[in-house]
Amino acid sequence: MQPIIVIGFLNNMKVLIEIAYALYMGFYTTLKNLFRGPFTEEYPEYKRPLPARSRAQIILTSDPDGQERCVACYLCSAVCPVDCISMQAAEADSGRRYAKWFRINFGRCIFCGLCEEACPTSAIQLTPFFENSKRDILKMVYEKADLQVDHCGKDKNYNFYAYAGIVTKSAGKGEHVKEEKPVDVRTNMP
Amino acid sequence: MPKLIIDNREIEVPEGIKVIEAADRAGIYIPRFCYYAELGAVGACRICAVKFVDGPVKGIEMSCMINAQDGMVVSTTDPEARDFRRHVIEWLMMNHPHDCPVCDEGGHCLLQDLTESCDHGIRRYKGKKRTYVDQYLGPLIQHEENRCIQCYRCSRYYQEFAGYKDLGVMGIAQRIYFGRYAAGVLESPFSGNIIDLCPTGVYTDKPSRYTGRRWDYERVPGICINCSLGCHITVSARYREIVYLEGRYSGKVNGSFICDRGRYGFFYANLEERPRQGRVRGEDVPSGRAITMAAQRVKEVSESHGAAAIAVIGSGRSSLETIAALTHVCKVQGWRGPVLFDSRVSSESVRTAVSCIAQELAVSMKEIESADFILTVGADPINEAPMLAMAMRQAWRKGAGVAAIDCRSLDWPFQFEQVTAAPDDMADFLAALENSETTVISDRFVAQIKSIAAKIRACHRPVVVCGTEITDSKIIYGAAGFVKAMRQAGQEAGLFYTLPAANSYGAALLDEIGETAEDLIERIESGEIKALVIVESDLWDTFSDRQRLIQALEQLELLVVADFMATEILHRADIIIPTLSIFEAGGIYVNQEGRAQWSPPAYAGGTPIKITGQGGHPPRIIRPDIPAGDISPAWRMAWWLADRQPPASHDLLLDWMGKTFPVLEKAANFTSEGIRLYLPEARRKTARETGGRKIQSLGEYLLLPVAAVFGDEPMAQRSPCLEGYAKHPEMWMAASDARLFDASDGDAARLQLPYGPLELTLRLSERIAPGTLIVYRCPDLFWQQFARSSRFIVPKDRIRIEKKA
Repeated sequence: MQPIIVIGFLNNMKVLIEIAYALYMGFYTTLKNLFRGPFTEEYPEYKRPLPARSRAQIILTSDPDGQERCVACYLCSAVCPVDCISMQAAEADSGRRYAKWFRINFGRCIFCGLCEEACPTSAIQLTPFFENSKRDILKMVYEKADLQVDHCGKDKNYNFYAYAGIVTKSAGKGEHVKEEKPVDVRTNMP
Repeated sequence: MPKLIIDNREIEVPEGIKVIEAADRAGIYIPRFCYYAELGAVGACRICAVKFVDGPVKGIEMSCMINAQDGMVVSTTDPEARDFRRHVIEWLMMNHPHDCPVCDEGGHCLLQDLTESCDHGIRRYKGKKRTYVDQYLGPLIQHEENRCIQCYRCSRYYQEFAGYKDLGVMGIAQRIYFGRYAAGVLESPFSGNIIDLCPTGVYTDKPSRYTGRRWDYERVPGICINCSLGCHITVSARYREIVYLEGRYSGKVNGSFICDRGRYGFFYANLEERPRQGRVRGEDVPSGRAITMAAQRVKEVSESHGAAAIAVIGSGRSSLETIAALTHVCKVQGWRGPVLFDSRVSSESVRTAVSCIAQELAVSMKEIESADFILTVGADPINEAPMLAMAMRQAWRKGAGVAAIDCRSLDWPFQFEQVTAAPDDMADFLAALENSETTVISDRFVAQIKSIAAKIRACHRPVVVCGTEITDSKIIYGAAGFVKAMRQAGQEAGLFYTLPAANSYGAALLDEIGETAEDLIERIESGEIKALVIVESDLWDTFSDRQRLIQALEQLELLVVADFMATEILHRADIIIPTLSIFEAGGIYVNQEGRAQWSPPAYAGGTPIKITGQGGHPPRIIRPDIPAGDISPAWRMAWWLADRQPPASHDLLLDWMGKTFPVLEKAANFTSEGIRLYLPEARRKTARETGGRKIQSLGEYLLLPVAAVFGDEPMAQRSPCLEGYAKHPEMWMAASDARLFDASDGDAARLQLPYGPLELTLRLSERIAPGTLIVYRCPDLFWQQFARSSRFIVPKDRIRIEKKA
């Protein structure tokens, strides 16, 4: 026999085997799934626990000592690619900077998580809760009270004002983490 | 002219400038903290290190400390220089607190920018941070000394540049502290500039504390209208209100800095009581409706009493566009006005000043800094036009002599020689200086005048600064004559006037008649005028005789008031029409040297969110328009009042202005430096001795209400943060006069004036001219303000002094 004919025969055999294997696998899968239960979850009845870092509903968390964490530094509103965050900072009687008003328009929010990444105090955080669709567009506009929660969210420890060196009711100059006592310029003693 | 190469770019620079400035000129930015063009270099921060590759200097050196020399080859990007700067920023940041999120400087902080650009991110030093106790520096500036990087800009500016001593530097080594010896309000009226100067957040703006970040602001280059100088500013607006103003560099007017009156004088634009709706007989209506109703009523009056029964009052705080529109409308409709000056003396003085100033005589404020002798006549820069005092100080620092002919106890931040002259004698003193004719002046002053005359004659670039508030047209004319004479003698003499309002010059350019409010009140009393339209002016503030004003206003059939501020006269108007401030409408303002400058609008207008949201969240309403965004600028309103169509756009308005008013021909072609406008030869006035009333006999005193830096200017005095800065009612008296009354400093003085009694604290000074009483205008005076350029003759028996307990 000519060598070319032999090669042609072998190729044909290979194709035949592939066809047979595919047929077998197809029927096997169909048959297998005929006799097992459904994969889908009954969504509203059953809610699958999502990873803590999934990105949905935004919250404003609190410090470990319970005070509001947000200092209204405007970084989240600056980084927001859809401009859905707006706020006004003010000074509280305690000396802390806080958001006098804070508004997120969830009609616009794309849950990209950049605000969380930009936040220097771990105040703004995304949560796995995603069921926040509304029929009225104005109800998608969340004000500060709608966003605030009384826990620390994912960051359990960070307390910005313990490090900032700003005088507040809880700590004066030199009383924060890693701070020396205030300088007395009227003495030359070391 | 040394030639050097910086980053492969060859540049030629003047002799004696530093490498960092040479790089600036070539458009190459070298990092800096302590270096500032106006303040020069001290080499304190070490961040401007560059590598000198070849030439007279070699190696890493501070570019702010080395003069640019021929043959230098400089690299700013050399790895060695970059590494050096990276270490510098690391040690500068060693003690810097971790408070950027709550710091107002964040977002436009030089330290933040350079830390980023020098690639420093993580603090490696594990030790503790140094801290300082902050001070209360007054209602304008917030102090946070922890953030300091010891660049010395604030103390150098405050003490050397501005000439005040109460803020400085204390301590040594790791304990260097910038602040006052004891906490307290900063004394300098130029203190706000340390906010702009500080490369980090040690000094931040207090009234705008926490309002926002630089990137959120609508920022435009504007012109300050709180005095006649027209300093350049940058306006920042957010949430439909003005947040703060900063100095903006101008090589012709103010340099880099501005005064606190200009910096904080903008709050009138944000106030809640500002008219934002039309009001017709006590009922709120949309502003457009108020205009049509006013136009209709004006037409009715015109039909029943003739067009001349309608009069229009404008003012020097309106833009040139508004003044031009009012002038035009009055002319074509046959209305009387527009009246742009408060009093006859003021009208005469301003129009004489504008006539006298000419291309070759006028100097800009920046040119004053290079004068070698400055003579002021009846001018008190620190109170009338604060930045002028700053410019004069810079001349003085360079060695210029300063002499003042004045009747006030002047208090300027530099040394000067004062010739104490009563307002009536100033012209004689000026003449004596000009032609050494000393027979007219009192013998006491001959030697002093002769020595000043000799000093002026010996210098090359003398400048005469002449006020228009306490002087009369004879003195103003005399000042120009003196400058002309010096020019003829070969000196490069310059002339500089201060004017009462931001656009007094523009008003004088367009106003050919020079009618005043006084004339108008007379016409109302005689029944000639039946309807009065007041546009951006407040007779309440500018007309002294309040009783007469009230009676006159009651005689009117119609009073229409259009303003962007809640003035007193607004409450008496039949129809109120809101107008736009300079920040919303923009406008051309002509400063005291004739420089027409354009200030663009900073934001679209409308009620601030702070007011619509009552301090909290903005209202939850979806609406397509801006609340109170339908207000039109006063120039449009002027046409509509006459039932005519205004030019469709601002550009067309400028074209129209150039065509209609020959004097404004150049006004449409603006450059960033503005255009200088002068009165044509034919319209210039010559001196006329009008003056105020003179003292007739001994035992009479001349009471002069004079300008004060705070609490006097009609717009800035509305700023809540400046309230504490206004002077208390004080009357200054010559020490020699006080002996006649047996009075001492601090006594209570009670004056019986034609319009009512006046209670003041008596202050004495040797430098007050005998026979003169000086009262600084302040909001606490019982009729709030004396008319500008008004004078009162007070007989001795009308002055009562009560000893202080």
